[in-house]
Amino acid sequence: MKKIIKGNIFIIFALSLMVLAFAIESPARDDDAEYAAMIESGRKVYEVRCLLCHGENGDGNGLAGIIRRAERNGRILEIYPRDLAMGVFRFRTTPTGCLPVDQDIIDIISNGVPRSFMPSYKHLPREDIKAVREYIKTFSFRWEEEEPCEPISVNRPVWAGNPDSVRKGRKIYKEMKCGECHGYTGKGDGPKSNDLKDDQGKQILPFNFTTGNLKRGSSPENVYITFTTGLDGTGMPSYEDSLNEEDRWHLVSYTLQLMKKGE
Amino acid sequence: MYRRFYLILLLISGVVLFAFSILAIVKELNPEWKGYQSEYKKIFIDNAEGPEADVLAKQFDIGHKQIYLKRLKRVDRCMNCHAGVENPFMSEAEVPYRRHSGDYLDKHPVAEFGCTVCHDGQGRATNMKEAHGIEFDTHWDRPVLPFTYIESSCAGCHDAEMLKNNGAIKFAAGEKLFREKGCRGCHKLAGEGGVLGKNLDGIGSRPKHYFSLRYVEGDKTAYAWLREHFVDPAKIVPDSGMKVVLNDEEADLLTVYMLTMKSGEIPKEYRRIMNYPERPVTGEALYRMYCIACHTSGEQTIYDEIFGRTIPAIMNPSFLKSINDRLLTEMIKEGRNGTQMTAWKNDAAGLGDDEIQRIVAYITRNRPEAGPEPFGFTKFSADVRAGRELYKVRCAFCHGETGRGGKGFLGIDLANPVIQGADPEFLAVTVRDGRPGTTMVPFGEKGLKLEAREITDVVAYVRTLSMKE
Repeated sequence: MKKIIKGNIFIIFALSLMVLAFAIESPARDDDAEYAAMIESGRKVYEVRCLLCHGENGDGNGLAGIIRRAERNGRILEIYPRDLAMGVFRFRTTPTGCLPVDQDIIDIISNGVPRSFMPSYKHLPREDIKAVREYIKTFSFRWEEEEPCEPISVNRPVWAGNPDSVRKGRKIYKEMKCGECHGYTGKGDGPKSNDLKDDQGKQILPFNFTTGNLKRGSSPENVYITFTTGLDGTGMPSYEDSLNEEDRWHLVSYTLQLMKKGE
Repeated sequence: MYRRFYLILLLISGVVLFAFSILAIVKELNPEWKGYQSEYKKIFIDNAEGPEADVLAKQFDIGHKQIYLKRLKRVDRCMNCHAGVENPFMSEAEVPYRRHSGDYLDKHPVAEFGCTVCHDGQGRATNMKEAHGIEFDTHWDRPVLPFTYIESSCAGCHDAEMLKNNGAIKFAAGEKLFREKGCRGCHKLAGEGGVLGKNLDGIGSRPKHYFSLRYVEGDKTAYAWLREHFVDPAKIVPDSGMKVVLNDEEADLLTVYMLTMKSGEIPKEYRRIMNYPERPVTGEALYRMYCIACHTSGEQTIYDEIFGRTIPAIMNPSFLKSINDRLLTEMIKEGRNGTQMTAWKNDAAGLGDDEIQRIVAYITRNRPEAGPEPFGFTKFSADVRAGRELYKVRCAFCHGETGRGGKGFLGIDLANPVIQGADPEFLAVTVRDGRPGTTMVPFGEKGLKLEAREITDVVAYVRTLSMKE
């Protein structure tokens, strides 16, 4: 009798283990199905709204091709749709070299990039935007191998934008040789401005501060984050290591004044 | 006590007055030009070779000099300082003693032509500051012309053909630039040209106070304004919409040409105009003159920040395939209302019917032989409501929710009369095949794979766009 019970206990134990294993596994299977559904709905939204510029494989070779835009100063900008398959993103809140966090991608999709004619999709349901975000991640292997870094926190000091800070910023602009690309008066016409190429070897133009808004928006916080994260894939480096936080804010004050947004 | 105070006051003021009187007399007896003339005499005596010249040099009379030119209505006193202007012995001397460069004075003797007819400046003035009139506080309308722009004066009497071969290279180059950069696309000159920019008639004789000199960095003069605004229009005129930007050298050349646009005429006896400039004949020359500033090569669409809209590619084969000459001529003649496209007909921008025909022939020279594959718009019964839903998803992000395109949108205004009046077949073909070279993508089988029925619906909806606000 004892033996039988012993054997039974073993069986019961084995059975309960199996049940447990199933119990752990089955929700995961639900997740998989959910993920697949999300990717599928993301693909649908992508095909209707994004494909014509960003292309079927997300490589930026859509049917619409290159967009040409004549700037105020007569220069013609050639705008290439972002190559999502590279897995390199310009507009992040994470340090240079990192993948963007989910919110970064959502911000770009919902706010758009007016300077490059990326429309705003604010009116889309939030689930659709999330689905597209997940679908975009399937284009690059980076998303499988890496995790996004911690986003950089932005604390705008009270003195940002005041005349003293602007003056210090002007000095930093000079010392850091920003003018070599962005021009000594911020007009994007520095001596190196005509030979700049992005990672794919396409010509890019440094930002002309006198022509309006930055691509990601010109709030002081956005300018600060651009200096801190750099624009990966372009010639714009991150100044996280070469300038301290205070100096970066001085630079923000000066560049905002160049954009005539100083307070 | 008081009496003594007033006595001293009277004494001091007397002394001051006396001092000023003496100073005034001394200044009047030794004007600026007198110094130059005595210096000139010294150099002349040194440089003179041969007995005759020696005598001439010693006889040089220091005194006020002027020439009165009745026909030109000018009094020039420049030779008070520039005394050696016709003296062959002064070729090596320094300015202002130096002889006039080149052989210009052989054919334009000073006694007959004076100085200011070519050089501008204030002929009557007797000191340098007032005569040159460059400094802003002289308030002189026509400051002396710098060497760079002096060729502009030649055009007052000579024609371009003659000047081209006789040293006025800058003038000829400037004239060519004016023809080829499409200035007349926006600026009217002698009744021909667009209306977006200022009229250029008489721009070369406008006084400097006509220009807003606030942002000019160089001399506060008309020529400096012209030159700087060719290099960076928005710097000089903050709300300028001028599109053509020139490099420094081209800006100088075009400034020379601009300064020749004088409103007054030099008297007949002086004028030597033999050939009047030929009007451009070929379609290409006309296109360069009137269209190129906006439409550039005409092969690619460009979104223009200043205009706030996309400028269409009018030489794009797929555009030419779907538009006929009659419609194109009509568009050029009447312009596109609501856009920056000017009406070019004779009583608006001054182009003759034959000239417009030549432009049309030039634009359509590469029209593909085969027309587009017919769509068969009438095969389907269109559902406007379904079309609207499709439009919202597929078209609105380029053409806008209202279909009016405009600022920040890549797509054109679909509510404009040309689109609204167009054959629906033509619209359907455009939606199906897209416009290569532009951002309009094909929505048919070759592209985004919309069904023919869906395209019909969208086109039907687009044709209702002008009905709503």
